[in-house]
Amino acid sequence: MLRSFLRGVLELLREIGDQNAYARHLKRHGVENSAMEWRRFSDERFRTKYQKAKCC
Amino acid sequence: MAFLKRLVWVLIALGAAACLGVIATSRGEHINSIWLVLASACSYLVAYRFYGAFIAAKVMALDAKRATPAERLENGHDYVPTNKWIVFGHHFAAIAGPGPLVGPVLAAQFGYLPGTLWIISGAVLGGAIQDFVILFASMRRDGKSLGQMAREEIGKVGGFVSLVTVLLIMIILLAVVALVVVNALAGSPWGTFTIAATMPVAVFMGLYLRYWRPGKVLECSALGFALVIAAVFGGQWIAGSAEWAPVFTLSAMSVAIAVIIYGFLASALPVWLLLAPRDYLSTFVKLGVIGMLALGILAVRPTLEMPAFTKFIDGTGPVFAGKIFPFCFITIACGAVSGFHSLISSGTTPKMIARETHALPVGYGCMLLESFVAIMAMIASCALQPGIYFAVNSPPGLVGKTAAAAATTITGWGFPVGADQMQALAKSVGEVTLFGRTGGAPSLALGMAHIFARGGGGDAVLGFWYHFAIMFEALFILTIIDAGTRVGRFMLQDLLGHIHKPLGRTSWMPGVIGTSAVIVVAWGFFLIQGVRDPLGGINSLWPLFGIANQLLAAIALSVATTIILKMHGPKYMWITCAPLTWLVTVTFSAAWQKIFSPLPRVGFLAQVTALEKGKITPQVATLIFNNQLDAAVCGTFLVLVAIILADSLRLWYGILRGSEEVVVSESPFVLTQLRAEEF
Repeated sequence: MLRSFLRGVLELLREIGDQNAYARHLKRHGVENSAMEWRRFSDERFRTKYQKAKCC
Repeated sequence: MAFLKRLVWVLIALGAAACLGVIATSRGEHINSIWLVLASACSYLVAYRFYGAFIAAKVMALDAKRATPAERLENGHDYVPTNKWIVFGHHFAAIAGPGPLVGPVLAAQFGYLPGTLWIISGAVLGGAIQDFVILFASMRRDGKSLGQMAREEIGKVGGFVSLVTVLLIMIILLAVVALVVVNALAGSPWGTFTIAATMPVAVFMGLYLRYWRPGKVLECSALGFALVIAAVFGGQWIAGSAEWAPVFTLSAMSVAIAVIIYGFLASALPVWLLLAPRDYLSTFVKLGVIGMLALGILAVRPTLEMPAFTKFIDGTGPVFAGKIFPFCFITIACGAVSGFHSLISSGTTPKMIARETHALPVGYGCMLLESFVAIMAMIASCALQPGIYFAVNSPPGLVGKTAAAAATTITGWGFPVGADQMQALAKSVGEVTLFGRTGGAPSLALGMAHIFARGGGGDAVLGFWYHFAIMFEALFILTIIDAGTRVGRFMLQDLLGHIHKPLGRTSWMPGVIGTSAVIVVAWGFFLIQGVRDPLGGINSLWPLFGIANQLLAAIALSVATTIILKMHGPKYMWITCAPLTWLVTVTFSAAWQKIFSPLPRVGFLAQVTALEKGKITPQVATLIFNNQLDAAVCGTFLVLVAIILADSLRLWYGILRGSEEVVVSESPFVLTQLRAEEF
């Protein structure tokens, strides 16, 4: 039970940290992790992410 | 089994009633904070299980078989069907800002009871309802934003008004949260060094992610966290250094200017270099510290030193002026009802929900958790001795500029505190003084530090925990400032692009620099105004922010009521109409008093009249202008929301009379193809 809870927490952190989104991006485009690919992914990700207001 | 279940729920409901009874009727004795924890937790459980579930089943008819936008429009980017608990955490991280922490600390000047009751009832009957209904509505409309829904459901006027309101609220929000940071860091070399150090740390993280370890966000954030903790320790050394302490000892005005320059740079610099890595770090630290505070309160169970009510319910409070009604209800916005949440509920979250039924825990449940964060902030501030609380939160312009004068004034109010006692406390947390550290952040940090220190280490670690808490608050407030400035810049560029096309291009540097400067100057103006205000800027800016935020909630609840009315007729209108009526009453009363109250500490125009009676120096002339501007901003908010309310009422009247055509603009039903066990 503790292990599954910790796994859930790690998954949440990976989602909040965009790591899961990046993994999906790599899978969808069938490419390996690289500086160029991260740049391509994060530029688009941050562009949409920081067009929205952050809550108070 | 069914009987046992019912018995458990009856016991939880009785527990809620009993705990609320204890906190509501205890007078003249200190109660343990665990009563507040139990009262709120049991109330939330009952509300979630019965009220939330009722709305989910009867009003929304959430259907697990209906494909959500995340499934139908899946693009692996915005629209991604996601595990329920991950969406829950994501949504919570997005809605939890400084509001639920700072608001309750300020409202604690009335005593622990008014704020606590409002946090619990406001969240259960208002805030959670707003978040839940807007999330549901957006989910049924392919993830549309609040502005889009206002335009489609109410009319074009509604859409435009909500856009302008959001921009204005953001300017006030950025100014007020920046003021909280300024008041926490002014005259504090330890705090200033720690926060200054987070900037090169964020840049290092940005470079690390971009060039050295692309995509390793968790690894990079862990490294960044270790460096920030090292900066907290380093700050202690700086504060004790005869050479370096003066370098990092800045006046409030200097810190304000530094924050304004930072806001401009963060908005204009590439996002990957400063903003994004800081955002990752602050989100992780925020979630971790909130968890730590919950564990700390449960482990230490501090006694509430603050009485249930203080004499300041009469409106003469030093933290901010105004009576319990309406000012308690606008001071605590985010922990009870926050209009800003409706932007999140109609932003990223509806695009991630895999099953319609997940909207209940995410929309309703997250707001209850945020409300619990507000309860924890209330506990942390009320666990301080009231004399210390008021010494920290009262502006010098009100209680006296020297420590002895301030201690005498506050003791005279019936909250004993000594200048020596405050000096010893300041020394134990590594500060020169704790008098007049208004804004809520220092007193919250003190409360948190006491709880953490009692959990282990005692007074020897008080200084570390105090500055750790200041770092935590400043870190995510600065993230709001840089992200907010950037968003404001985008909104302005979008608007100006219609006049001159290049201004709308986010890659055209003159446009980027110009619009960033306009937004920074706008909130920077209010920040400087707050720093110069002899009554403490919080007195005028926080109510303005609270009014603005609650008015945005009124817009969201108007949209929600319109949607419910179109779905069911008047049968379930009361669910959103009741909190809407309350919010309109509260915010319009508060705004009216802030503009027209004859008391100079409350009314902006009365303050102008009082100032005009004295000698008009350039400084006084600036104060007069600032008060007139605040009155105009407050009036603008009122007019904007009155327009949208009038438009909504016209529409509702038409629907109820049958003269208005009812169009429910939901996306058509599509059967889900996702397997239940996947989520």
